[in-house]
Amino acid sequence: MAKYGIGQAITRREDERLLFGKGQFLDDISLEGETFIWFVRSPYARARILSIDTEDAGKMEGVLKIILGKDMRHQGVGPLPVNADLKRADGQSMTSPPNYPLAIDRVDYVGRAVAAVIARSREEAQNAAEAILVEYEELEAVVTIQDALANGAPQIWDDAPGNIAAYNEIGDAEACDKALASSKHVSRIKINNQRLVPVSMETRGSIANYDPDSGRITLYTSCQNPAGLQTTLAEAVLKIPKDEVRVKVGDVGGGFGMKTQLYPEDAVCAFGAKLIGRPVRWRATRSEEFLSGNHGRDLENEAEMGFDSQGKITSFRINNFGNIGAHASGPGAIIAVAVGPKVQTGVYHIPEFHLKATAVLTNTNVVGAYRGAGRPEAIFLLERIMDQAAHELGLDPSHLRRINLLQPSQMPYTTPTGETFDSGNFPHMLDRMLEKSDWTGFEARRKESEKKGLLRGRAISTFLEWTGASFEETVEVQIGGDGRLKILTALQAMGQGIETCLVQVLSDKLGVDADLIDFVQGDSDIGAYGIGSMGSRSLYIGGSAVLSASKQVIEEGKKFASEEFEAAEQDIVYEDGVFSVAGTDLSIGLFELANQQENQRMVIKTHETVGGPSWPNSCHVCEVEIDPNTGCTEIVRYISGDDVGTVINPLIVAGQVHGGIAQAVGQALLEDTRYDSQTGQLLTGSLLDYCLPRADDLCEITTFTDESSPCEINPLGAKGVGELGTVGGTPTVLNAVLDALRTVGVKTIEMPATPEKIWLAIQAAKRKHVA
Amino acid sequence: MTAMATKCFLNGDLKMPASITVKVNGKEVTEVIKENTLLVDFLRDSLRLTGTHIGCDTAQCGACTVHLDGSPIKSCNILAVQADGAKITTIEGLSTKEGNMHPMQKAFRDHHGLQCGFCTPGMIMSALGILSKSRKPTEAEIREGLEGNLCRCTGYHNIVKAINSGAEAIAKAQE
Repeated sequence: MAKYGIGQAITRREDERLLFGKGQFLDDISLEGETFIWFVRSPYARARILSIDTEDAGKMEGVLKIILGKDMRHQGVGPLPVNADLKRADGQSMTSPPNYPLAIDRVDYVGRAVAAVIARSREEAQNAAEAILVEYEELEAVVTIQDALANGAPQIWDDAPGNIAAYNEIGDAEACDKALASSKHVSRIKINNQRLVPVSMETRGSIANYDPDSGRITLYTSCQNPAGLQTTLAEAVLKIPKDEVRVKVGDVGGGFGMKTQLYPEDAVCAFGAKLIGRPVRWRATRSEEFLSGNHGRDLENEAEMGFDSQGKITSFRINNFGNIGAHASGPGAIIAVAVGPKVQTGVYHIPEFHLKATAVLTNTNVVGAYRGAGRPEAIFLLERIMDQAAHELGLDPSHLRRINLLQPSQMPYTTPTGETFDSGNFPHMLDRMLEKSDWTGFEARRKESEKKGLLRGRAISTFLEWTGASFEETVEVQIGGDGRLKILTALQAMGQGIETCLVQVLSDKLGVDADLIDFVQGDSDIGAYGIGSMGSRSLYIGGSAVLSASKQVIEEGKKFASEEFEAAEQDIVYEDGVFSVAGTDLSIGLFELANQQENQRMVIKTHETVGGPSWPNSCHVCEVEIDPNTGCTEIVRYISGDDVGTVINPLIVAGQVHGGIAQAVGQALLEDTRYDSQTGQLLTGSLLDYCLPRADDLCEITTFTDESSPCEINPLGAKGVGELGTVGGTPTVLNAVLDALRTVGVKTIEMPATPEKIWLAIQAAKRKHVA
Repeated sequence: MTAMATKCFLNGDLKMPASITVKVNGKEVTEVIKENTLLVDFLRDSLRLTGTHIGCDTAQCGACTVHLDGSPIKSCNILAVQADGAKITTIEGLSTKEGNMHPMQKAFRDHHGLQCGFCTPGMIMSALGILSKSRKPTEAEIREGLEGNLCRCTGYHNIVKAINSGAEAIAKAQE
């Protein structure tokens, strides 16, 4: 017997098949009669397509079909949808060049898919794709935010004047201006949150198959939300009834938000499979992934924060510009103008607040969700300006935070951006962190580093984040007469351990051996009534749904048992898989009871709505050593304290935090997506040019959790955890670097703080000192 | 380089069919393949050993790491014909039978050293490569030994712990 309990650090059920090399990732699937597809991609950032000559390619060995954008549109295929709820300042709905699965008469970024070849083998498809001649008329590209907003800039899309896709304004501008003007001190900052490439280790991929008998298309793909993809592919793009599309997902080799969307290539595979009546298979190369998998971040911030004579924040004024790429079909705009602002005041009391946010179109790849999606950008800005202010005010950065923290007595607290925090004890978390991190012992450690010729810096961040994205989820629990339980869900495992955690909740609540519980996911046919995995929602919402389902199982079971034993329902008790009549020896097992019901099973479908977003919060401390001779940074201490509410599985929680922090280190020190500012060519198009953190870029990460403030808005008491590390890690690492560099006169540094950038900044500061 | 690989480079024609014989996970196989077939594609497509993964185009990620005559190599970075006559071990060859985990696989599970699991087979093959150089590697040696393998999920923290623990278990079993 292996009953799992909530809070136990049990190892994952998912692991065995993955460790044996028996996972079923997208490219591990092989269908009979399968064909391969290869995409022709635009070499220009902005151009008109004058002609596409497929004659030679069509005659090449193995070629079965060549697909062009105009053929697809002719068959009624539409562009990927755009969120029309977002508006511009003139009140018009957001718009951009339509993102048809294949370009028709224009291309708006390098890497845009223009044509597709289906052939017997991958090699034949690739060879033929190279023989397709596309004639372009190159147009002047708009690559950076500054260029896009400049007077007289080329207009990417006539209906988006000024290259502005969407705009949002929050707060009282006048009151904020006034408060800033009368502040004792004002800190000012202008920073760039650089564009990142998510780089899930498994690239995207799709295999589409059409069954003429049922008239259905099955899309096997690597994504985070099969139900969402089914709707988008069927209704928005192919314009067919939803039930004519089935989306199936196996093991997903990382998603990080990047695999939340339907991609143009998925739709072309589906279209092609129906056209040729054979399975069509695509696996993105890493280069294709860099060019055309959604990017993340890319936000420019200008901000001013006012303080009174005690160091209390009086006001915070922000102007943000988000580069969302060439098409508004990704979530880039909503992330920049609506999601990030939700956490912009963080864990602090900020009396006056005003934010303007503009989503800008450029001739670059589409920007979408990447671990944190808006919250890392907002918290980076907030923690970066707080740290700068502490330095300017001559205060200990932990003290400046302490005097501005919201107090537990203020919960529930409504922020200036209209969000309500249900729980959290931020001062308590800060206290615990100062002790765990030996905050006061820093000076001694700094001196030790100094003896080695190294600059030591430290930073602390106190922050929270918004999770959930959509606040409902449906799960189905089946109890079979065959002695097995099933959880059926639209939530999707992609490494975050959701299978283990949901089984753990059900095993705990029903007292049933976890080995008897099957987890069914990755199929829009079984989970179409649910949503999917994104925005750190799966456990606190999905887990709450499982918890409610377990209660329903017991309630329903009690009804059946009362009929069985002709006893009153309130006399039936349930324990560890057995219903019995109190005070008698009458009892019946859960499975036996299920066996007596219709179809020999009990089916419980639970739609759970939670009371809004969860607000996990944390305190991070990082210490770095910088070699001033080389500019190399070493992270020497990292501690994360996290309030994720009730912890279901501490092993998994720690793993999520470690992974998020590693990605934060990547953004702070290493990763940078660069386009040539004139031509719009992607300069960092492979893992040779784009620097991901490796094992020796990181140190051991210490984590602890604090469960003293469970979430009040869901029955499980859990809060999201998946994105916390990236949200708080980035400012903590960068502020630690700056703390070290301030000792040699460096005042600011942009991300990523590479050795080159650091070394140059040190040299510049030295020259200034001499001058 | 084997004679056959030399021959096909000199010929400049890499699309000719060639016959290779390799011992994969203890089993000898002979296959006719195109000479330009990468070892990773041979393993995945011809032998259907899909535990060895392809994560990049540039030999950066290490998801395709296998052992060639006992040493870890990136199987995306050599032609299958170059492996002619060699002994190859893939992730599928580590445990002798179903359910009987290799101590390193077990250590990865016990320490939550994997999340999405895509890089994991390559990580484990590289981990065993580290042990072939040092039976009880230090944390620094483990981190340096993983230079050729990328993981985007774990932050490496638990991978390092797992390799340390796997090394101890293996050393103990050998004592």
